Amino acid sequence: MTTTTEPYSRPTTSEGITAFFRSQKAIPYLLLLPAILVILSVVLVPLLLSFWTSFTNYNLTKPDTLYNFIGLRNYQRLMGNAEFWWAFGRTFLFITIALNLEMLLGLGLALLVNKITWGQRTLRTIMMFPMMFSPILVGFQFKYIFNDSIGLVNNALFDLGLISQPIPWLVDGTLANFSIIFAEIWMSTSIFAILLLAGLMALPREPIEAAKVDGCNSWQVFRHITLPFLMPFVYIAMTIRSLDVARAYDMVRIMTNGGPAGRTELLWTLMTRTGYQNSQMGMANAMGYVSIILSIVFTFYFYRKLTAARTFMGGAQ
Amino acid sequence: MSAMTIEKPWQRWAIRIGVFLAMLVLTVPGLWVMLTAFRPNIEVLARPAIWIPQNWTLDNFARLFGLSASQQGLPVAQYFINSLVISLTSTLVAIVIGMAGGYAFARFSFRGKGPMFLAFMLSRTVPGVALSLPLFMLWARLGIIDTSFGLILVYMAINIPFTIWLTDGFFRQIPIDLSEAAQIDGCTRWQAFWKIEFPLARSGLASAAIFAFLTSWNEYALASQLTRTTASKTMPVGLMDFTAQFTVDWTGMSAMAVLIIIPALVLTFIVQKHLIAGLTFGGVK
Amino acid sequence: MTSKIFARALLASCAFAGVAGGALAQEFDYGSFPDYTLRVKLIGGTQYEKLYTRIPEWEALTGAKVEIVSSKNHFELDREIKQDIAAGQINWCVGSNHTSFAPQYGSLYIDLAEHIPAEELAKYVQGTLEASRVDGRLVQLPRVTDVSNLYYRRDLYEDAAKQEAYKAEFGTDLAPPKTYDEFKQQVIFFADPPNLYGTAFAGKDEGMSGRFMEILRANGGDMFDENWNPIFNSPEGVAALQWFVDIYEAGAVPAGTVNYTWDDIGQAFAAGQLALDLDWPGFAGMYSDPAASTVAEHLGFAVAPVGTSGKSGAWSGSHSFSVTEACDNKEAAVSFAVFLTNDESELMEAQAGNLPTRTATFDQAAQWFVENDKPALAEMFTVFQQSLAEARTPPLVPEWIEVSNVLWPQLQAAIVGEKTAQEALDQAADEARIILEDAGRL
Repeated sequence: MTTTTEPYSRPTTSEGITAFFRSQKAIPYLLLLPAILVILSVVLVPLLLSFWTSFTNYNLTKPDTLYNFIGLRNYQRLMGNAEFWWAFGRTFLFITIALNLEMLLGLGLALLVNKITWGQRTLRTIMMFPMMFSPILVGFQFKYIFNDSIGLVNNALFDLGLISQPIPWLVDGTLANFSIIFAEIWMSTSIFAILLLAGLMALPREPIEAAKVDGCNSWQVFRHITLPFLMPFVYIAMTIRSLDVARAYDMVRIMTNGGPAGRTELLWTLMTRTGYQNSQMGMANAMGYVSIILSIVFTFYFYRKLTAARTFMGGAQ
Repeated sequence: MSAMTIEKPWQRWAIRIGVFLAMLVLTVPGLWVMLTAFRPNIEVLARPAIWIPQNWTLDNFARLFGLSASQQGLPVAQYFINSLVISLTSTLVAIVIGMAGGYAFARFSFRGKGPMFLAFMLSRTVPGVALSLPLFMLWARLGIIDTSFGLILVYMAINIPFTIWLTDGFFRQIPIDLSEAAQIDGCTRWQAFWKIEFPLARSGLASAAIFAFLTSWNEYALASQLTRTTASKTMPVGLMDFTAQFTVDWTGMSAMAVLIIIPALVLTFIVQKHLIAGLTFGGVK
Repeated sequence: MTSKIFARALLASCAFAGVAGGALAQEFDYGSFPDYTLRVKLIGGTQYEKLYTRIPEWEALTGAKVEIVSSKNHFELDREIKQDIAAGQINWCVGSNHTSFAPQYGSLYIDLAEHIPAEELAKYVQGTLEASRVDGRLVQLPRVTDVSNLYYRRDLYEDAAKQEAYKAEFGTDLAPPKTYDEFKQQVIFFADPPNLYGTAFAGKDEGMSGRFMEILRANGGDMFDENWNPIFNSPEGVAALQWFVDIYEAGAVPAGTVNYTWDDIGQAFAAGQLALDLDWPGFAGMYSDPAASTVAEHLGFAVAPVGTSGKSGAWSGSHSFSVTEACDNKEAAVSFAVFLTNDESELMEAQAGNLPTRTATFDQAAQWFVENDKPALAEMFTVFQQSLAEARTPPLVPEWIEVSNVLWPQLQAAIVGEKTAQEALDQAADEARIILEDAGRL
């Protein structure tokens, strides 16, 4: 590679768009064009539309209201809406707790499995089991398992003689939130475990052996060698997960749908209820915007960490 | 791959028990649902609980398909076909488009590359529910609501960013010299790509494909709004309809759940080797 | 029985003759629609599915095919239909409807009176038909009428030990409750979780709002005053809500009841988990069927209790079928709707315990119960007819469901102890006021 950064492009005097698109310079843009078009039409245009409706009092069953500009009223109402801020805080907490616990448990699982020398392939396959489950299935499965009258958990507790009254897992405020976080962790810990296991398998042997010779104990080895090496993998996993953390909506929708009495209400369930059940599309889209910002902040944070970690590792880019 | 430290026997047993418990937690909930699909409802509702199935039955599946007298069947076959068509088509197209994009990011340097890459990633973070409201309005106006095409388009958009990310990583791992050498030997760049780079990236593409397929096959939030009838309803939407029809028919729902999970399981096990490879090497660098 | 066979013969002759002649003017002409596929959205759930086994008969009669596009409980169906309206996607012809929901749908459905001969309409129960009109248009053909009734487990009430304990505690004999206070007292008395609960109630959607309204009215209150001001946060309303709060706090209902709808309650009662159940007539068939219910042997029934005003709330409404304005073959759609509410269909509904909407069916059903040795159902049927006399629907206005949607989450909040009854109702009343103001009623 003797040319600067573009190995295949030859200098052209690009004059006008046609010339540009015939040039070598255009190749990456042409390759990206279909992707850009799809994203524009399926993500950007709808987002612009919902941005507009968030400034109207658009009502699902009254199509004319789409052109009813009401300025910032939806956003103003949101600012003073306690129910919304509860949902916002709960969502933030939900994401933070779920992602961190998944990371810790995934790390633990990866470390454990990495120690097993026999049948590791089978273990890896079993580990991926939850990844194949549709979030909707996960929701249904845990709604069934946590059911207060016929659920697996309560049945087991009864038969072991640990309880005499059924525990209302999906009704009690604390337990219901625990249950949905448990389901979320069940669904997604595997992704962390697989990625971190891959990192462990790529771990260079020499520094560890050198450290052992120098008299470091297991914890010190882990803290000063294994963990720093794993950090980029942690950020990759965090980025991947924060990309699609909102699929937890499907699961919550079926388990509690935000209820009872809004105790497990997340931004996503509140939004669909406002939009589709109460028909207040304008307001729902305003909520949607706030939830988008929340997702972007999470992803952006981890992506920055990831880029930094990559540079640290001396990887490409 | 040998153990890097020599453990004492009790440590080895502690690790084994830990792994066993973890695997139990990961599998039991899913297996419990699958078991329920083959039990009669009366056994599931029984108090006190009946742990060991007394009767095995295929009744729940028969009812789903409308083979029993008391209940109209669900169009499960149609849902299944819709799911298959929509997932496969959107996966295929997303892989082709995403691969082109990933190749562009891996092999070219151009203005706006970094921000564009980030923009693709961020487009994926928009929650499906937030997108479903405006897409619903837009698709309704365009007349592509309740069509497979409408849903395929959406799933393409969801899968392209992640495919770009994965394939970008794969292409960057393939030494550029290989392709250059082929071009010196008289191949065009296009031929060099197909002969050299594509085969090397195949396992990365396979893993991107399985991810795209699973995402489309399992998606609910968007499908629930953009499909209205059997013309385009997918399996997850079918399951939700079922829960709205019979709120307490656990065994019937479990049977439906088994039907959703089986294709995903089969497919994932076939390509699981690639899946791990894809996750490990694609995203890393 | 003979009249049924006669009707069948008539139907068959219609089918074979193709065109109904003047001699058969009394019988509805179901027409012939070979190769046409009729798309329908029907209410699903245990009480309603049995009738749909008649659909193949209609298909054979007319040559048309029926495609069930969607089958959900009515709350979900309502949401789906509203989304269809928004999407402009009315590509189906017949939809299940309900008198409480119908006013919301505007011009979605046709006026059936223009498509069905008057002599056919005359066969329906006239009061029910009147309640099926919205702004004078007959937008739905009633299928069954619902009115609250009490089911109970006779074995519990006849248990000597229980009778004694009850007498010792309350000083009165143990008998099915006559008032809501007694109802509350008894469900708490019977509750022995997890194997037996006093009762269960629908804790969400219109099921929750409706039951609340019923007790509110039984206490002498109402939802709105004559000028549409929300007045359900009155002392009567607070007492009604407190009734739910009390039995929930006492553990007399399953904690999960806040997520229950009709099928959950039905299954629980049929499994013997509930002592009492205030529910719809449509469950009688299932409850009294030994194959589906463990309480069939000792099923008791009574009229709904009364409130502090001495009256019963008698929450009532009719399930129905409607035909869309957008339908491409209204004739076939109307034929389908009439077929599923004709004398034979109604007899089938009545045999399951439902209150039919055709006048002739009442006698036929009573006779059928006697002939088929179902004295329990026969007796029940007369009880149901009694309650029908006091039946009251919710306000038949489009805003009822909207108000219900802001009301039930507040009721739920009070029941699970997030708020006091007064706080919850005050907030719901404020939200309801906004809805009624926006609708121009205030």
